Amino acid sequence: MLIPHPLLGPRDAQEFTYLGDAALLNRPDGMAADAQAAFNDYVYLRDNPAGVHRELWFHEQGDRSWVVVTRNTVTHEILGAELARDVALAAKAGAA
Amino acid sequence: MSDLKPLTALGDASARTVTHGVLTLKENNALALVSLALRRDSPEPTPFGLGLPGPGLWASSGSIAALWTGPGQWLLEAPGRAESDFAAEAAAACPGCSVTEQTDGFAAFEVRSAAGEEPILALMAKLVNLDSARFGPGTATRTGLEHMSVFVIRRAADRLAVIGMRSAAGTLWHALETTAARLAEPRA
Repeated sequence: MLIPHPLLGPRDAQEFTYLGDAALLNRPDGMAADAQAAFNDYVYLRDNPAGVHRELWFHEQGDRSWVVVTRNTVTHEILGAELARDVALAAKAGAA
Repeated sequence: MSDLKPLTALGDASARTVTHGVLTLKENNALALVSLALRRDSPEPTPFGLGLPGPGLWASSGSIAALWTGPGQWLLEAPGRAESDFAAEAAAACPGCSVTEQTDGFAAFEVRSAAGEEPILALMAKLVNLDSARFGPGTATRTGLEHMSVFVIRRAADRLAVIGMRSAAGTLWHALETTAARLAEPRA
């Protein structure tokens, strides 16, 4: 399986390690009034879609960047990859 | 005063070298290494007049070379200067950047082919999962080699450098030498 690294081009998936759902980028505010319930959901609740899924992969034997990979969990087709840093910064800019 | 003698990463008194067919492997125990990382919003320096290479690339200028290791991160190489304080010179040349001495954390091996690039490509095909068509002279990357994390640098069409963890220097040398020896065996 090849992952199309946004900077380095197609790379062997064995160079990467998998973390999980890209929703982990959206960490709740620990100081909010409902922080306990929000963190319970953040830590334990996951969507488990059969189909297109956005997930976090770490290029461990490579440039050590976090990558958001869009993958079809049914066919294992990889639809795209972008740097998690760019995704997080774009989300921050959108929220501000 | 004891007369202390430095050993190379492979535990020898001097750099090990071996030739199998057209491939020559040589331990590069004199290579000084320094990692360079930009801090937030800091401009890109040009240490010793060297323009830092982009993703997946390697560049050299004069006696200094650099390879890209990650976004805003590079590894600087200074051949023949492992016993000098190259990190201090690099820190002075890159004001405002994070510079860390790496020389003794790594072991570097140089592979040279006496018959053009074909033997280098054959060696790469056996050892690393990289597309050799996209890994021409002037490229470098980090990848896995027999489950070890290594930097691979294509210094020229007929030259390849492999930089790996110093603690795994013997294992890395074994992998390189075994593969080179098998490539040198006559084909049935």
